[in-house]
Amino acid sequence: MSTRTGLGPAAPATPDAVNSTAGKASSSRGRRRGLRRIAAVAMVAGPGLVAANAGNDAAGIATYASAGSQFTYGTLFFMVLVTVALVMVQEMAVRLGAHTGKGLGALIREQFSLRLTALAVGCLLLANTGLVVSEFAGIGAAFELLGVPKWAVVPPAAALLWALVLFGSYRWAERIFLVMSLAFFSYPIAMVLGHPHWGEVGRNLAVPHLRPSSDFVLLAVALIGTTVSPYMQFYAAAGVVDRGAKPEEYKLIRADAVLGAVFACVISLTIIIATASAIGGSGPLQSAAEAARALEPVAGPGAELLFAFGLLGASALAGAVVPLSASYAIGEAAGVERSVSRRFRDAPLFLGVFTAQIALGAIVALTPVDVIQLLIGTQVLQGLISPIVLVYLLVLTNRRSLLGAAANGPRYRIAATAVVVGVALMSTVLLVQTILGWLGLA
Amino acid sequence: MATSTLFGSTTARLRDRRVNLEHRATASRAVRSSLVSLAGLIGSPVTNQAGAEVGRLTDVVARLYGPDPYPPVTGLILRIGRRRAFLPADTVGRLGAGRVELRASRVDLRDFQRRPGEVLLARDVLDHQLVDVDGIQVTRAADLYLAPLVGRTVLVGVDVSLPTLLRRLGPRRWQVRATPERVLDWQSVAPFGEQATEGPAEVRLRASRSALHRLRPADLADILEDLGRSERQQLLGWLEPEQAADALEEMEPAELENLLREARPEHAARLVDEMEPDEAADALRDLQPGERETLLARMPDADAAELRGLLAHREGTAGGAMTTRLVTARLEQTVAEVRAELAAQAEHRTEIDAVVVLDAAGRLVADIPLFDLVVAEDSSPLTDLVAWLAQFGDPVTLPPDTRLARAADRLVAARKSSLLVVDADGRPLGRILADDILDALLPERGRLHFRRFLQ
Repeated sequence: MSTRTGLGPAAPATPDAVNSTAGKASSSRGRRRGLRRIAAVAMVAGPGLVAANAGNDAAGIATYASAGSQFTYGTLFFMVLVTVALVMVQEMAVRLGAHTGKGLGALIREQFSLRLTALAVGCLLLANTGLVVSEFAGIGAAFELLGVPKWAVVPPAAALLWALVLFGSYRWAERIFLVMSLAFFSYPIAMVLGHPHWGEVGRNLAVPHLRPSSDFVLLAVALIGTTVSPYMQFYAAAGVVDRGAKPEEYKLIRADAVLGAVFACVISLTIIIATASAIGGSGPLQSAAEAARALEPVAGPGAELLFAFGLLGASALAGAVVPLSASYAIGEAAGVERSVSRRFRDAPLFLGVFTAQIALGAIVALTPVDVIQLLIGTQVLQGLISPIVLVYLLVLTNRRSLLGAAANGPRYRIAATAVVVGVALMSTVLLVQTILGWLGLA
Repeated sequence: MATSTLFGSTTARLRDRRVNLEHRATASRAVRSSLVSLAGLIGSPVTNQAGAEVGRLTDVVARLYGPDPYPPVTGLILRIGRRRAFLPADTVGRLGAGRVELRASRVDLRDFQRRPGEVLLARDVLDHQLVDVDGIQVTRAADLYLAPLVGRTVLVGVDVSLPTLLRRLGPRRWQVRATPERVLDWQSVAPFGEQATEGPAEVRLRASRSALHRLRPADLADILEDLGRSERQQLLGWLEPEQAADALEEMEPAELENLLREARPEHAARLVDEMEPDEAADALRDLQPGERETLLARMPDADAAELRGLLAHREGTAGGAMTTRLVTARLEQTVAEVRAELAAQAEHRTEIDAVVVLDAAGRLVADIPLFDLVVAEDSSPLTDLVAWLAQFGDPVTLPPDTRLARAADRLVAARKSSLLVVDADGRPLGRILADDILDALLPERGRLHFRRFLQ
């Protein structure tokens, strides 16, 4: 067995210490196997679900809540389209991971020119830094609901997350955050208890309609960004690679990815519907407190507390994983050491990128911009970058030289291209609109 | 007087230093000007003797797996209009920074066919993973350097520095300039040519690269953990099974599990068979029952039976952590005979720290530490040694279902480096070593890869 040096705790010095750690350590692998067994029965406990859960982070909640308050049920059909897009995109990402055994970062470096690699990595870094900003803004918003100013919370929270990840007791913290973020599973209950107009909901889900207003386009791009975010694809592929999934197990992996994507979108839909029936039609979302009102049917006066709880858990959870996954992809593409247990001297790029993202995220989150605006803004940025990353994904999955028989067939290729073009079209419309707005022509 | 000598010596020193620096600068300029950057070559115009452009260079072909220490360039691939054509190396006059001149005015173009051991440098090696044997890490080739050597061009080194990546992102003028800041000698890297056809067998042995054999098992384990799937399997194929097995024993359990699942079953079975029994049992425990059976079925029956016996014990007990590698002796043997027996077991030296003495019925009599064997006379029978050792009390033994925490207490109390695991009849089943107990007791340390977040 390996006994390599690391930054871990020193060996227990006394027999008593040995005793106290013995049971825990020897059972940890047994427990992991037990989990593995459950996962084999229902692979749903795989990365798909984790990724889906990470998707409902602070910025996601803000975007969905804003959709509900501004357009009531008007965005539901669009969300159905986004669900289809997410399912296809996630499927492509895990297919690449399962068939090549390499992460997206490595694949892009090996299959594209260096300049195109730099573009992809740059886009991912930009999008992810935006996400990190939104996570810290979410932590700030959660504490402001409890009456603590954000400038007092965000810097220590950033330092704490950074230290937890680098000095390796993050596993415990992660579990706590995960349990906290389960608060958001009260949304489906809130939706039912909030007595929405089910007929309206059904009609909006099934009947195709899009509103040609500039506000709608902005929010639509934010919805795309928060659901089909660039980091999600990297994360999904990395998850499959690290579990050592083989091409033979691809059917299970695909089921996991598809279920995860659908599940995430169903949760998103419940958030939109619950918010719509609580504060629908009151114009754009004003504050986190307003968003928390959607949970009143469940928690009554404790709604704000419950909301703050979930927001804090989800934000903290993603606040570590998001910067890590970007650093990981960049390290993979550059071909340098990537492990959080290395010293700065050994893995300067990996740890530097990780640290820079957290620092930048915390600083931007402290700017006195309205929190909700900031959260939605970061998701719009994701939505603008998303099509660029999707193009890489599409080109890679079309390559027979890479995937052989698992490459996209002609029909799938048309469908996937349509998805990418659709996403790109929304982003382009928004860009044109914004530029026209600056020029005063809109 | 004194000041003038001091002053004089200082100026002399300064002058010497300047001369030295100049020497170094010229030397590095000379090296730099003789090196040709592959990244800068790709896309450059290929001209014939008359100076007319024939086409553009798209790739360089080199014989990577061959008898030469540095892979020779065997040809170029050109794009002429929409056609891709192959030019053998002997028609090339000059390979320089950003341009290629041919020796003749007429070129004979052929379609490219891969010959054994050849790879396309830009497509298969540049930007792909390789093992840096000196730095003990997996990196990606940021650039490859070619240099003229006795009438032909060879691949001499790999650049792995980040500034070189930035240079390649820059304008064309930067791209062609070689920047050998952190260059690895080609002798000290193990490249992977996914597409390369294997050369003849004796060449493959060379390709298995003596350099790789310099690596310690723990370093190899690190490298295996960092490689992509196909590269990992390729590297395993180059290693001798014994060496590979030693490395596998050092790997993180989750990574090892992935590696065994993605290898060909025959190969995986061979590797597990070569591992020490206790490590092999650990590795098999992590696999799913079907996969485990697949591997066990492909092993020699005796080894598979032994592993099945070990797998019957629960994890976290002495039986689950013990090694079955025991050196046994009988009372009537002499110390010299036992030493000869130990010498025969040299490959398992990490698993043996004492010799078990059995009676005629196969029950445990004593456990003789190696120290006592070393200091004993060659001719003395074991009976004497056992009698002498009896004053220190009976050997410390455990039943196989003892919890590891309890085993650790016994080990600490006995002040020994290993304990014997015996069945109800007092027959030794195996030995539990101090390092196995440490592995089980120490919490997972350091090495927190991003992947741990994904499980």
